[in-house]
Parts: sequence; structure tokens; C-alpha cells
Amino acid sequence: MFTITQSSRRVLVADDDPVMRKLVTTAIQREGLVVVTASDGREAYRILQSDAGFKAAVFDMMMPHLKGLDVIRYMRTEKRLMRIPIMIISAEQDIKLMANSFAAGATAFLPKPFTPEQIRNTLHMLLGNVKPTRQAA
Amino acid sequence: MENSETNVTPLLSAEAVDMSVLKAFEEMHSDEESDLIVELIDLYLEDAPARLKEIRDAVAENDASLLKRATHSLKGSSSSIGVLQVAEICKKLEQMDCQESPRQVEAIAQLLDYKFAKASEELEAERQRRLS
Repeated sequence: MFTITQSSRRVLVADDDPVMRKLVTTAIQREGLVVVTASDGREAYRILQSDAGFKAAVFDMMMPHLKGLDVIRYMRTEKRLMRIPIMIISAEQDIKLMANSFAAGATAFLPKPFTPEQIRNTLHMLLGNVKPTRQAA
Repeated sequence: MENSETNVTPLLSAEAVDMSVLKAFEEMHSDEESDLIVELIDLYLEDAPARLKEIRDAVAENDASLLKRATHSLKGSSSSIGVLQVAEICKKLEQMDCQESPRQVEAIAQLLDYKFAKASEELEAERQRRLS
């Protein structure tokens, strides 16, 4: 279930961990945005199949069924989704994983654990990448 | 694989939970009707036992893939809210091979249960303190 509202204010968050989902959701809501949540990559994929109205997306790297990078790869091949900026959250601080994320099409990378300031800064970077007229029409 | 990780700093702490990590998220919350810290504690205490069960099952069945997945998942949420001893043990288990050194894995999994029980007590005490 999710609330339909202006696409310019909605962010898709997919994470199988309820603690992480709550943390990320709270941080995004603090920015005055509306969060649509998915509890794994497959649910995120299903939402994206029928709904492209997102200002940004935040995915956990390791999710059941469909990993964060797989969802990014799918989004980057779909014209209606390819411009949505995406943040990947990972439990690893591995530079190779970071490189793989950017190669797949991620816009930002946030390793766990993160502080409130770190997620805020990364969200600002992610949201600052949005070109305002891109979702029009 | 070696079982000589004596340099894991969080494990030397008397507290299983570093409350300063958890309380740092207080600043993110603006809703006066609820307490984000209590919500995070509740979510963690609801979800973590299922991950621990997966870890126990993985150890019992020598399932390396399940062990890696479950420890990786528990490590992420535990480290994020300051349950550092549990996170540290998960990190250790994630790197171990349960087929190569089953007894060591079993012993560390038992330590994980013990540290989780301790962390739960500390989190529950913090929860009660905030609600009273």
C-alpha cells in the first residue's frame, strides 16, 4: 500500500530490514518528502513496473529475491525510470562494491552504519541531482 | 579459520549496546506523538530473533549461504542502532566457513545468542525508561 501524491515529492525506499526502513523513511520525511516503501527488491520492481512517479529511490544492496543493483540495472534500461536518482545502502564499506554500484547506475552510496548527518548529507546530494522538469508529461 | 579475534574492541565493552549511537537518531524525529528510539528498539527486538533463528538453523545444517545472508542482515541493523557486540560477532561469523570449522562457528553462534540476550535487556531497559 502506498499513497499517491505528486511524483515530485515521492521517494521509493526498498529494504528488507524494518529497522533500516524506519531510519531511512524518517530521514526522508524530515526533508518534507513522501515515502513509498517496499520490503524487498521484487516488491520495488513490481511498484516500478506500473509507477514511475518518483523523485528518487533508495535501495538496500542485499535484499531477498532481487538485489538493489538488479533493480538499478532494470531502472537504467527503462526510459521512464532511467533518470530517477538512486541511493544504494550497503553494510559493506568495500570500495569495489561502491564502484559496482556506480557502474550499475547508482547516484549515491551510503555505507552502514551511518549517522543522521551522513544520511542527511547523502540525501541532499541525491535529491540535488533531480532536474525539476524531467517527470513532466 | 582462526578463532582468535581478541582485538574486537566492542566485545571488550561492559555494555552490549552503545546507547550514544542509538540516541543520535533522536534529532531526526519531529513527531511529538511517538518516540523514534522506542520504535527502533521495538522493530529491532521484533525482527532480530528471526535472524538469530536463521543463524542457528544455518549452523545446524552447515548452510554457508544462509549463514552469510542472515549474519549480514543482522550486522547491518545492529551496527546502525549501536548493538555493536552483536554486529561484531555477526561480522566474524559472516567471514567464517561453517563447513570448514563447524565447532568454532557453533561456539561463536552461542556467544551471539548470549550477547543478543544481553543487548535485549539493555534495550528493554532503555525502552522502559523512555516510556515511564
